[in-house]
Amino acid sequence: MKISLWWKSAMAGCAALVLANSAWAGGTLRYATVGEPPSLDQHVVTSDLATTIAHHMFEGLYTFNSANAPVGLLAADEKLEDDGKTIVISLRKGVKFHNGQEMVAGDVLASLNRWGEHGSRGGLLYSNVTGIEASGDHEITIKLKAPFGPWKNLLAFINGGPAIYPASVAAAAGKEPIAPENYIGTGPYKFSEWKANRHVELVRHDGYASIEAAPDGYAGARTAHFDKIRFIPVPDVGTRVSGLKAGDYDYAESIPGDLFADLDADPNVKTILNGGPIFGLIFMNSKEGPLKENYALRRAIQAALDKVPALQVSIGPEKLWRANGSFLPEGNVWYSDAGADNFSRGDTAGAKEMAVKAGYKGEPIKFMVSTNYAFHYDQAVVFTKQLAQAGFNIDLQVYDWATLIKKRAQPDQWDLFFTHHGFVPDPILISVMNDNYPGWWATAEKAGLKAKFTGTADEAERQKIWSQIQSAIYEQVPTMKTGDVYTYNIASPKLTGLASSTLIWPHFWNVDN
Amino acid sequence: MLAYAIKRIFVLIPTLLAASLLVFIFIHLIPGDPAAVLLGDTATPEDVAQLTREMGLDKPLYTQFVLWLGNFLQGDLGTSIFFQAPVLSVIADGAETSILLAVMTMFWIVIFGVPIGVVSATKHGSWIDQVSSGGAMFAASIPTFWLGLYLILIFSVTLGWLPSSGFPSISDEGGLTNLRYLLLPSLTLAAPNAALIIRLVRASMLDVQREDHVRTARAKGLHPLRVAYAHVFRNALIAVAAAFGFTFAALVSEAVVTETVFSLPGVGRLVVQSILRRDYPVIQGVILVIVILYMVTNLLVDLAYGWLDPRVSLK
Amino acid sequence: MNALALFNPYSGRRLAFLGLVWLTFILICALAAPLLAPFDPLAIAPVDRLSEPGESYWFGTDNFGRDTLSRCIYGARMALIIGLGTVVVSLTAGSLIGMLSAYFTRLGHVLMRMIDVLMAFPALLLALVLMTLLERSVANTIIVIGIVYTTTTARILFGMTLKLKNEVFVEAAVCSGAGHCSVLFRHILPNLISPLLVQASFIFAFAQLQAAALDFLGLGLPPEIPSWGNMLSESRIYVTRAPWLLIFPGILIIFSVFSMNLVGDALRDSIDPRFKDDIAGV
Repeated sequence: MKISLWWKSAMAGCAALVLANSAWAGGTLRYATVGEPPSLDQHVVTSDLATTIAHHMFEGLYTFNSANAPVGLLAADEKLEDDGKTIVISLRKGVKFHNGQEMVAGDVLASLNRWGEHGSRGGLLYSNVTGIEASGDHEITIKLKAPFGPWKNLLAFINGGPAIYPASVAAAAGKEPIAPENYIGTGPYKFSEWKANRHVELVRHDGYASIEAAPDGYAGARTAHFDKIRFIPVPDVGTRVSGLKAGDYDYAESIPGDLFADLDADPNVKTILNGGPIFGLIFMNSKEGPLKENYALRRAIQAALDKVPALQVSIGPEKLWRANGSFLPEGNVWYSDAGADNFSRGDTAGAKEMAVKAGYKGEPIKFMVSTNYAFHYDQAVVFTKQLAQAGFNIDLQVYDWATLIKKRAQPDQWDLFFTHHGFVPDPILISVMNDNYPGWWATAEKAGLKAKFTGTADEAERQKIWSQIQSAIYEQVPTMKTGDVYTYNIASPKLTGLASSTLIWPHFWNVDN
Repeated sequence: MLAYAIKRIFVLIPTLLAASLLVFIFIHLIPGDPAAVLLGDTATPEDVAQLTREMGLDKPLYTQFVLWLGNFLQGDLGTSIFFQAPVLSVIADGAETSILLAVMTMFWIVIFGVPIGVVSATKHGSWIDQVSSGGAMFAASIPTFWLGLYLILIFSVTLGWLPSSGFPSISDEGGLTNLRYLLLPSLTLAAPNAALIIRLVRASMLDVQREDHVRTARAKGLHPLRVAYAHVFRNALIAVAAAFGFTFAALVSEAVVTETVFSLPGVGRLVVQSILRRDYPVIQGVILVIVILYMVTNLLVDLAYGWLDPRVSLK
Repeated sequence: MNALALFNPYSGRRLAFLGLVWLTFILICALAAPLLAPFDPLAIAPVDRLSEPGESYWFGTDNFGRDTLSRCIYGARMALIIGLGTVVVSLTAGSLIGMLSAYFTRLGHVLMRMIDVLMAFPALLLALVLMTLLERSVANTIIVIGIVYTTTTARILFGMTLKLKNEVFVEAAVCSGAGHCSVLFRHILPNLISPLLVQASFIFAFAQLQAAALDFLGLGLPPEIPSWGNMLSESRIYVTRAPWLLIFPGILIIFSVFSMNLVGDALRDSIDPRFKDDIAGV
């Protein structure tokens, strides 16, 4: 029959394609990302994905060691003068940008100024700066209004932070993210190309000037072993997992908790926990609606929630979550149990009583959540059930993320919304500390504590004040933490030099094939 | 024929205008603010308002439409809000994947569909006929993403024969062998769409068998199979041409899902991601390009139809 | 027409008969869901999450610990609602537009141009954009998929009405002074009922696949509703970890769509041969 001929030629075609060699480059690392970042400009963009890519090519004055303490990267040394009101930072010499120019104080000055004026987190530091100047070829002097505790953490946190660009790039840049052709940094990898929808490609920076010290977290020596790193958008999580198992990617991020046990046992897959946990937050509307200034009602809602079943349902294995009421995780210098006994009471009857006392008469409470993050939605479903049992009339509104962030900016549209927060090294960076963040928590108590918190450079004193702020959060309930989630990534076992967990974002200097 | 073609092209213009207006209105009614998506979690309302102004999204809708249409007529589809790159180049980046995927899918459809249709018609009513049309209908009943998930599981994860996802350009390392990345996706797309062509080939073959010259040929003692093959190619071509028109829209639609499952950097996934990011210029541009392609394809199919089958009169 | 004879199990259409049996089974599940389902399809049981199929949970449980069997049974209800809803929307709007356009030539010129414009949009893209614009809800999903099939139905009805318009019996009715309404709905429409029925069965089938695709892309029914598409979409990451979550709803969708197609195909053989080629089906 003729049909067999069709078959034969079709099968022959398949065979030829199947047998073609399957690895396409020895020196390329293929990283499956959750999507594409809006931009890689670290000054203005706070997306974690952007930093995962960008911290291979941009560096700041400081970075974090494995204990999350800030240590010098482009900065060689610093001294505090004038009771901590003047900071003099000396820069490392012989550091070359990707365009071949040497990094000097002028570059640092221009970068810090652009970050201070337009950067996402720059205002936190710059609102306290009275003057900044290049006091030498390799020296920068920052003058402060008052001693300011978090300065070094802010300079070390590269996400939305002060990456050092050449002066020509930084001075020309405004509020808009800088264009990819101007991605010039000092890091061990440099920008190669960004193909929309396809990949962002970095290549090794051969003129990299490494620190000579043992690697420790992000600190110490950095060596680029790969010729290229490709960050490939693979938004579907199932595809990221199958792709890594099939050998199409070497590293894949953000994998669901329920697959952890199977993947951990699979010899062809290496699991890598992310060091800093992320945590869900349910914000309350302080500007409008039934929750405005009704702190008793807010506490009633807080008392109704039991966080454990929500964490079980949304994450799975107990290794990957912690029902922890402290905003920063155990072991961290900012850990505090102040107010945390109200974290997860799950007291249905008590909550009902508290709500009645607070004057609640069954008014609908609008709760916005997005399905773009599965764990937001899963937890919200559990909480909605718990609140309904305690007599609250919850109107769960499910949107896609873009709609949710549009709506949450309008105070008349919502009472509660679900989001999550990444790990940050200093509590001042937590979104609820920002008076303008939707929810708009800006009470007199907060203002007083916040002024004290930033007004001292004494670490022990700052930790004490942070505990007071945390207990104010459990008292006024501007937001409810839903528990720590340890996300994890998976890697091919061929990769060597990978730590068993990441510090904050994965990094691939000192990693080899 | 030429007069007909010209007339059709003139009808195309108002249709296109209406389509572009419709796309524009739909997309600007979508809730969500590209400026807010772009600036992320820590942006203040003032930042968002300023960026909205800078992007011209605060102008009245009709002004935005006229501006956009004017630029479109000059071949400028605007700038992607997300990528900060011309929409045309963003689409062009995805076009390679989408075009190759469509071509490979059509290849499978033709290579499986035509022979099965021919055999079904010649063995009309037999078990072969029943099995093939039943099987095709069954394939058309499987949700594409479900089929794709299991094909990945079997052929990539378990057997390790084929890559699971992604598609490096054929101009990249590996060259034409990179087409193997499209094998599973194109088969996934072909499965539900083969049924139509099988049915069309089978029906047109059966029609031909009833025609006078075929009956004469048969009466002369020619073997029915030989008679069938004498007419196979023209009829198969007609059926393929007709199916192409029908299938084009279906391919584009289902490619959205297939490209998502297999994480292909094509135009379909670009639309889905752009909707999530509220990247209006890209959504508009992609849909408009697809609409134009659809209209042109259908025009070509109609013309080919008239050329292949003299019985069809074009008016 | 004698449609039932087509499903005679002893005729050549055994498959179509089986399809009819399957659809009856699904219909019973849909109607009697509260009686048949062993659990509340929305009840959360974190302790029992991701249980394998077994004695207490025949089809296993999902990541919320919800019973898959109960959700499948309630999913039948959703399938029926989506299917019937889409059929009603698209057949009503489509046949009105198609018939009026064929009958009143001037109006038809305008209306059919508009249909042409809509048809140029690939079905799923049109549905995606519309769903982003509207909120995720059952009604909106039905309307959006309904709009997509309104265009094809209008095209088909347009062609068929044109054919009938010049028939003797229609002209006779016009001569005897029947009004437009009477001619359209008392003389022309009854002749189109059986082809409409065939079209309805194909729309019913495809609506399931479209709804599932929208659910998969996260733009279909609200996620809390137990529909087969939502179940597949939520559990796609469990393809190896908890395969039962994909297999059961998957089989239900495939068999139901296949059965509906078989029935439509069998019905097509019963209709006026003039109209056969108008309805494409699969």
